[in-house]
Amino acid sequence: MAYSEKVVDHYNNPRNVGSFGKDIPGVGTGLVGAPECGDVMKLQIRVNVETGVIEDAKFKTFGCGSAIASSSLATEWLKGRTVDEAAKIKNTDIVNELKLPPVKIHCSVLAEDAIKAALTDYKEKWAKAEAGTDAGAS
Amino acid sequence: MPEESKRLSGLRDRLQDAILSRVDEAFLNGHPERRLPHNLNISFAYVEGESVLMGLNKEVALASGSACTSSTLEPSYVISALGVNAELAHSSIRFGLHRFSTQEEVDFVAARTVDVVQRLREMSPLYELAKEGVDLKTIKWKAE
Repeated sequence: MAYSEKVVDHYNNPRNVGSFGKDIPGVGTGLVGAPECGDVMKLQIRVNVETGVIEDAKFKTFGCGSAIASSSLATEWLKGRTVDEAAKIKNTDIVNELKLPPVKIHCSVLAEDAIKAALTDYKEKWAKAEAGTDAGAS
Repeated sequence: MPEESKRLSGLRDRLQDAILSRVDEAFLNGHPERRLPHNLNISFAYVEGESVLMGLNKEVALASGSACTSSTLEPSYVISALGVNAELAHSSIRFGLHRFSTQEEVDFVAARTVDVVQRLREMSPLYELAKEGVDLKTIKWKAE
C-alpha cells in the first residue's frame, strides 16, 4: 500500500489526539465505525456556546493509516469554524487533500460521519438552551 | 535442515517472548507448539494491523494478511479460519524469519513493535474505552 506524503505525515505526527470530558459544556462527541470492520473513530468538538465557533477538536482512531490521517485532518479543519460551516465538510474534500486511493475512500466517509455525529451530539446537548440565538449563527 | 529449524524456532520463541512479556492483551495465533519454526502470528487488541505495519515498514518487512490478500482490506482468512474473532483478526501481524535472520534483528523488531503498539493504543478509542471498564461488546456500533 503506497501512502501519500500527507497521510504519512498525519500518521507520524497526528494532530489533536486526545479526549474531552463528555459533560464539559459545549462538547459534542461522535463515535462511529465498528471494531469488526477494522475502523472506529471518536471525534470531539468543544464549541463556544455563545458564538457557535468550534474552539477545539480532538480525536482517537482505531484503524489504518488513512483512517488516522482522515480524522486528524478533520480536527484541524474543524477548529475555528462555526458549527454550520463544519457541517459543510465533505468526505471528498478529505479524499482530495490526502490523495486517498479508491480502496481508502471509506476512511473519509467515516470521518465525515464522525463530524456529523459530533455536531448532532453537540446540538442535542447544548444548543437547546441557546435555541433563541441559534438561527443567527451562520 | 533440522539444525536450521531449531535455530529458527529459537529465534521465533525469543521474538514471541520479548513481545508477549511486554504487551498486555497480545495473543498468539495458531497452535503454540505444532507450527512452522519461522512463523509467528500475534494479534494486538485495540490496534489495527495495517497501522502497526505502517509504523514498522521503514525498517521491517511484515504482513498483516497473507501475501495474496495484501491488496484488500479483509483481515487474514487464515487467522479467521483459526477461529479468531473479526476484531482480533483485524489486529493480527505475521512475523516471518528466514535463513539470515539474527538475534539482534529479532530484538530490534520486538522493541520497535512494542513501541508502535503502545503509541497506537494511546490514540485508540477502543483502548480508552476498555481502560474505562467499558465492555466493547455492549456498545451499539454504527457501522457504515
